[in-house]
Amino acid sequence: MYSADIRQPLVTGGKTYSDVTADICRPIENKPTNSWWLGFSIGVVLLLVLAGTLAWTVWEGIGTWNTNKSVMWGWDITNFVFWVGIGHAGTLISAVLLLFRQKWRMSINRSAEAMTIFAVFCAAIFPLFHMGRVWLGFWPLPLPNAFGSLWVNFNSPLLWDVFAISTYLSVSLVFWYLGLIPDIATVRDRATSKARKYWYGFFAMGWNGSAKSWGRYEVVALILAGISTPLVLSVHTIVSMDFATSVIPGWHTTIFPPYFVAGAIFSGFGMVLTLLLIARHVMNYQDYITTEHLEAMTKVILLTGSVVGLAYITEFVIAAYSGYEYEQYAFANRMFGPYAWAYWTMMFCNLMAPQVFWSKWARTTPWFIFVISIVVNIGMWFERFVIIVTSLHRDFLPSSWVMYHATWVEVGIFLGTFGLFFTCFFLFAKFLPVINMAEVKTIIKDKE
Amino acid sequence: MIDKSILLDDKTFTVGIFDDSDKLLNAVGTLKKKGVKIFDCYTPFPVHHLDKALGYDRTNISIGAFLCGLLGSLTGFTLAYSMNVVDWPMIIGGKPQDISVFTSFIPVIFELTILFTAFGMVILFFARTRMIHGIKEDLLSRRQTDDHMVLAIDNGETQDLSASEIQSLLTSEGAIEVDASRTSFNTSLTDEEELAKQLMTT
Repeated sequence: MYSADIRQPLVTGGKTYSDVTADICRPIENKPTNSWWLGFSIGVVLLLVLAGTLAWTVWEGIGTWNTNKSVMWGWDITNFVFWVGIGHAGTLISAVLLLFRQKWRMSINRSAEAMTIFAVFCAAIFPLFHMGRVWLGFWPLPLPNAFGSLWVNFNSPLLWDVFAISTYLSVSLVFWYLGLIPDIATVRDRATSKARKYWYGFFAMGWNGSAKSWGRYEVVALILAGISTPLVLSVHTIVSMDFATSVIPGWHTTIFPPYFVAGAIFSGFGMVLTLLLIARHVMNYQDYITTEHLEAMTKVILLTGSVVGLAYITEFVIAAYSGYEYEQYAFANRMFGPYAWAYWTMMFCNLMAPQVFWSKWARTTPWFIFVISIVVNIGMWFERFVIIVTSLHRDFLPSSWVMYHATWVEVGIFLGTFGLFFTCFFLFAKFLPVINMAEVKTIIKDKE
Repeated sequence: MIDKSILLDDKTFTVGIFDDSDKLLNAVGTLKKKGVKIFDCYTPFPVHHLDKALGYDRTNISIGAFLCGLLGSLTGFTLAYSMNVVDWPMIIGGKPQDISVFTSFIPVIFELTILFTAFGMVILFFARTRMIHGIKEDLLSRRQTDDHMVLAIDNGETQDLSASEIQSLLTSEGAIEVDASRTSFNTSLTDEEELAKQLMTT
């Protein structure tokens, strides 16, 4: 295939097929490094914080949180939307970029998909525990009711969310696992211990790479990508409808679905960059995750950050133009009210900070990208906080106006989900190939 | 573990092993032109146009996927309609609860369509490719999932060319190794020492 001379190679270092296998299997076949142990230990400690704070919530009740009758959604739903949003980049990279035939996706899609799955795990914790009696968490499922023939309400966006998130999690898992099979088979055939042989053999399902299997496999992967694309758009659209179908000023806007989807991609790429910059450094994958990859991702950040910024401004202009005083007040309160610091943090992190990526230096300097990716993560958390808390804390009745501050339990649960996320990610990096070997082998001679 | 050898059992193969996908593709083209019947090829990554060169038709799995998706749509609609309209209409704020609220059933219908398509198609794929957890693999080369590509010709098949002609064709097409009689094997050995020994020799 023709490619222009200005294109850079997708994999540097003149790797052969067996180099790719050896490089990517190294963490699986060797003892974990000290940096792995360090990261994993921090993850486990935070995971224990999660277990403790969740146990306390269940034992003592939802009153351990500061959510109240005005601000009935606080950090919990903020964190839920934050984590679901992060998940979106994984599907976007593996599905949308596959449909667009973007070959640079191949060395990052595996870890981005893993990130999706772990992020959705983290997200699911929040609505589940906000129900209070978590052991009744199956009630939103369309099951026959033990107390009469009352069913779930199919007109409710919260029920749509149950379907959307569970479909998203299971389809992402299938997509991820299917992509892993050929690589698991590679690890199986290199295995030197009986245990590794058995377990990788078990999950490789007898894969032997015959041309017939590959032919079917590629069609299945393409169709999965084709259906995952509308799926990923639908998930955050439905999450946004949790807000947009209500009559709360600040939530009741039709711009929410596209604005949430752009925000999700933005925050997801922020987290992908954070993770990959660490992984690339710790595991020495600079030849596979090149500065070209980083540059491509920062361009996505720049684009989606600008879309999100445009949405913020549009939202404000529409409120001002609406002639509806409650809506106007909600936005004035966001900007100049008691939570103005959160609003301006959001504006700085999401609208202004990513604009540095107009500069080529910023797009190709790893440490700087890392800093901005953290800024983006913080900014997107604040976006959800601003939407939820500033809209709720001052509603139609001034007598019910309150301030909301999280308790240590809520903070602990949020920090704890990072523990869950990083523990899962470090285990993944130890036991599964972080880069899709089979796909990367098809592009080692190609250019961007 | 289940023994997979459904496809390769009791067969001996003439194999040509390649280390370059272009050479493999050319070899398949040349052999096909000379009328040699190729059993299959085994590659560590998808080699583009290989299935076309081998004369395989495009898989029909997409039709199966479509049918699964259709089933998902119907399930979604049936679920919502039977629960919220037929069995127990929930009248909230005096709003109607009949077919006119169909639009609010769409998200659930959509999600179930995707769910059924994905799972149905992947299950069909596993069934068609005869893959299941715990199955033993059939390998013709230990490195066919690493960096070697195997071109396999079934020795039981009657060919127009003689065995030696096929072998010399494979060599001239750039095969790094040609083996006239290879049977499939799997690497699940019970003895770790034996395994280590085998790894040393390969």
